[in-house]
Amino acid sequence: MRELSVKVMRYDPSSDTSPHIQHYLVQVSEGARVLHVLHAIHDEHDPSLSYRYCCGSGQCGSCAVRVNGQPVLACMEEARDEMTIEPLELPVKKDLVVDMEPYLDRISPLVPGAEFRMPTADEVEAIKPLRSCIECLSCVSGCPALKVVEFAGPAAMRENMRLSLDPRDSCDRVSESVSEGLFTCTSCQVCWKVCPKDIQIPGKAIEKLRALANQKGLTLPRHQAVEKLVRETGRSVDRTCTSFLEQMPEVVEPYGEVKGTVGFFVGCMYNLRLPQTALDAMEVLRRNGIRVIIPKEQVCCGSPLIRTGQIDFLDTLKSRNINAFVFRNIDTVMTMCAGCGSTLKNDYETPFRVMDINEVLTRYGIDPPARLPLKAVYHDPCHLLRGQGIKNQPRELITQVVDLVEMPAICCGSGGGVRSGVPDEAAALAENRRKEIEKAGADIVISSCPFCEFHIQEHTDRPVKNITTVLLEGYREKDRKGAQTPSC
Amino acid sequence: MLVIGSGGAGVRAAIEAAKYGETLLVSKTLTGKGGCTTMAEGGYNAVLRESDSCEIHFEDTLKGGAYLNDRDLVEILVREAPLRMQDLLEWGAVFDVTDCCEVAQRPFGGQRFPRTCYAGDRTGHEMMSTLIDRLHSTDVRVESEVNVISLHSEGQRVTGAIGLDQRGDLRVMLADAVVLATGGGTRIYDISTNSSSGTGDGYALGYRAGAELIDMEQIQFHPTGAVYPYDARGRLVTEAVRGEGGVLKNVEGERFMKRYDPDRMELSTRDVVSRAIATEILLGKGTENGGVYLDVTHLPRPQIESRLPVMLEQFLKFGVDIRDVPMEVAPTAHHIMGGLRITTDTATTLPGLFACGEVAGGVHGANRLGGNALADTQVFGKRAGEAAGKAKERKKAVDRIQVESQEKRLDTFLRGDLPPSAIARSLQAAMWEGAGIFRTGPLLEKTLGILNHLQTLHPKAASPANLAECCILQNMLVTSSLVVRAALLRKESRGAHVRKDIAQSWDAEHSPYAHTFISLSKEGIEQGALP
Repeated sequence: MRELSVKVMRYDPSSDTSPHIQHYLVQVSEGARVLHVLHAIHDEHDPSLSYRYCCGSGQCGSCAVRVNGQPVLACMEEARDEMTIEPLELPVKKDLVVDMEPYLDRISPLVPGAEFRMPTADEVEAIKPLRSCIECLSCVSGCPALKVVEFAGPAAMRENMRLSLDPRDSCDRVSESVSEGLFTCTSCQVCWKVCPKDIQIPGKAIEKLRALANQKGLTLPRHQAVEKLVRETGRSVDRTCTSFLEQMPEVVEPYGEVKGTVGFFVGCMYNLRLPQTALDAMEVLRRNGIRVIIPKEQVCCGSPLIRTGQIDFLDTLKSRNINAFVFRNIDTVMTMCAGCGSTLKNDYETPFRVMDINEVLTRYGIDPPARLPLKAVYHDPCHLLRGQGIKNQPRELITQVVDLVEMPAICCGSGGGVRSGVPDEAAALAENRRKEIEKAGADIVISSCPFCEFHIQEHTDRPVKNITTVLLEGYREKDRKGAQTPSC
Repeated sequence: MLVIGSGGAGVRAAIEAAKYGETLLVSKTLTGKGGCTTMAEGGYNAVLRESDSCEIHFEDTLKGGAYLNDRDLVEILVREAPLRMQDLLEWGAVFDVTDCCEVAQRPFGGQRFPRTCYAGDRTGHEMMSTLIDRLHSTDVRVESEVNVISLHSEGQRVTGAIGLDQRGDLRVMLADAVVLATGGGTRIYDISTNSSSGTGDGYALGYRAGAELIDMEQIQFHPTGAVYPYDARGRLVTEAVRGEGGVLKNVEGERFMKRYDPDRMELSTRDVVSRAIATEILLGKGTENGGVYLDVTHLPRPQIESRLPVMLEQFLKFGVDIRDVPMEVAPTAHHIMGGLRITTDTATTLPGLFACGEVAGGVHGANRLGGNALADTQVFGKRAGEAAGKAKERKKAVDRIQVESQEKRLDTFLRGDLPPSAIARSLQAAMWEGAGIFRTGPLLEKTLGILNHLQTLHPKAASPANLAECCILQNMLVTSSLVVRAALLRKESRGAHVRKDIAQSWDAEHSPYAHTFISLSKEGIEQGALP
């Protein structure tokens, strides 16, 4: 047996004005799960604690709760000391029991057609990855979109995609999905990352439904315009200033010894909207021994097309980009746009390795910059944190130059075509970010994605900066201090 | 119609009943999430191929059941299982299929043909998803998280049920016919595969209302339950693991099944395999954690990943990669073969009360074949819904006396002094100790004594919301005593029931006994072979 100290959110709407955290010391067996901690509280301390459970083996989806903010199945998640157990982010009925039925009711049932046809082995294989859902609603709890806009949610979209793959279903699930908010998903990937069954809802359901919607002519006009622009110019944004690529030589040599060489995939936003940020990054790389090769014929990675289901032109983009680096025998391609990086890593099959700039800088190590007297809050870009699993590296860099405070990692609303397609939703999500930033009490906001930086800046009065820009400011401060120090 | 229970049988019954009129489905869990169907991993037996036949399925089931099955119920099971499978397919069930677009089948224990249909190792979950889907397309009214604590009767006739909602308020539900589909109850044992809802509520509700139950001594111990960590003990490790080629080894590395059933080896019937494993462990040939090895490491990794994904995922969560390391397993209480006596139309001995699924007895005899339970839920669930649907409309009235008697019962819980969970733990330990795989008369008598003592204790409900826990504890006590009493009545070893204190000269097929039976007014064992 071992003793655990845990906190549990308690709330009885019939008697409490607001939820409160209760602290318990419980004895549990070695290897106990969160559920067994709840049993121990209920049996030994407080029988009034309400929580749901049934199968105890991860198959019924009754017991999902949040542990330290993350949705998990209580019966499968190992209990840890000092954990905080809270209900899912759904209306609370009592303590850890939430009202699941309104969301479960939004999951469409199959409506058999007049003639029965058995699915083929291939169809079954296509459906299976979407079918293991246990309807625990962890994804619904985590989804940022449905908190600010009318959206049936990830679980319902998953089932709609399954139904559209099933020859036995007789309804038009694509149009249904569009009217239920298909285009409100920001591709933040939370639903996938919290899914106990690892169902890749954004890639295997949302984007696939959007591609089917595209075939039916249901793509949003703003998204169609982006697609047209990519076809015509190779870029997903139009030209308003001198681009980064136009400003740069093909090879950027570092100031000192060469520690490594990378190819640079700049992406549309840093090329055409925020070129100065990319220039800052180049300067940081030069100061840290990284030689950068910049093929000029590179084009849009295709992410804006994939996320919005417009995939006809994709293969052309892919081969142009891959060839641009392959021709130069580049073995490592660096991205600094989180969206491009996620796309190159997850949607491409590349003969070269892809690394985000945060990975490159932490891997080779950086010359320490001067510390700036600033308190910064870091906004985790969805496509960096969840799309590429990069969490610590940006923090490792930031803390070398400024003080860092944390805020919850929630989507800012700029991804998945939402900023252009559903601007009200994008604004509402950014407004939530503004409140978190204010709560964190930071002087500046740091991020590592052009979409996030651009979008959040429109909604906060604090400066929003890329990591490399802040590092460069640290280096300039260091230079200034060095110049002032008399040499003796 | 009132259907109690939202597992495979209950939901199937409600779907059918809705064709005939107004139907209410009441579930003590969120509808579709409770019960054991959703946890069933391995499969659904149905004769689907030319080279298989219902006759062989019938014989396999009878032989596996140690000839204690009701022949006419088995006949219906094997004939209708394929039809009910077709219903599921038409409603959208995603079973694995062959390259010829036929439902794929795999071998399971005690069957001469690979007739177990499957959806990976989440077959029951696939069925529940399909059934809940279908339920949503009907007019069935659903009441989730209401615990039925008593049946409501008019004389002998069952006319409804009395339940408790989440707040602890009483609900009276009246109906022309009531379908009991409350599932099993092996949560009465310390080590069990069952969902938390498997507390034997239906046996206790039926018994208290006067229904007759048969063969309650017949408890199936599944051979392969997890042994580690402590809180996950008993968790089902599906028979599909052995169906896919998994082998059992003792700590010396010996495939010991060759000493117990050299022909069928690991795919012998569950009673035989469970006893073999329990014997090996008693002989000191078990692992440190008290199990034996179940090994699939010789199978191709993709086969494990695609056919046993739930097993792979569950063991990974507990730090064991079954592709590289053998599992450790030991027997775990799994299924109650006995239950309410039913006719082929699922009518119990009480007018107005029908029973289907695990709560009913007679289908599986003294040992159930893996894959026959899921088929049972659909075949008899449908029959129960239909029979209840055809029941005559009646004038209904709430009987205040019955309601008041429940109110009094609940009132005593508010004045109780012991947490129900503490009493439940004593009960589970006593049942595992005294009414497990190997039984003797004296041990059963002693266990009955413990149960009688536990019944005199006063479980305490800390608040009205906790009243249901006390009712459920009482259901567990009633079910346990039915099991032990029946085990004392059957003075022979047969199927899953082994009396080590009795020497017998007959085999199962030539037993002088038929069903044990228990009701409020009588108990005994039928003499002579089953018709």
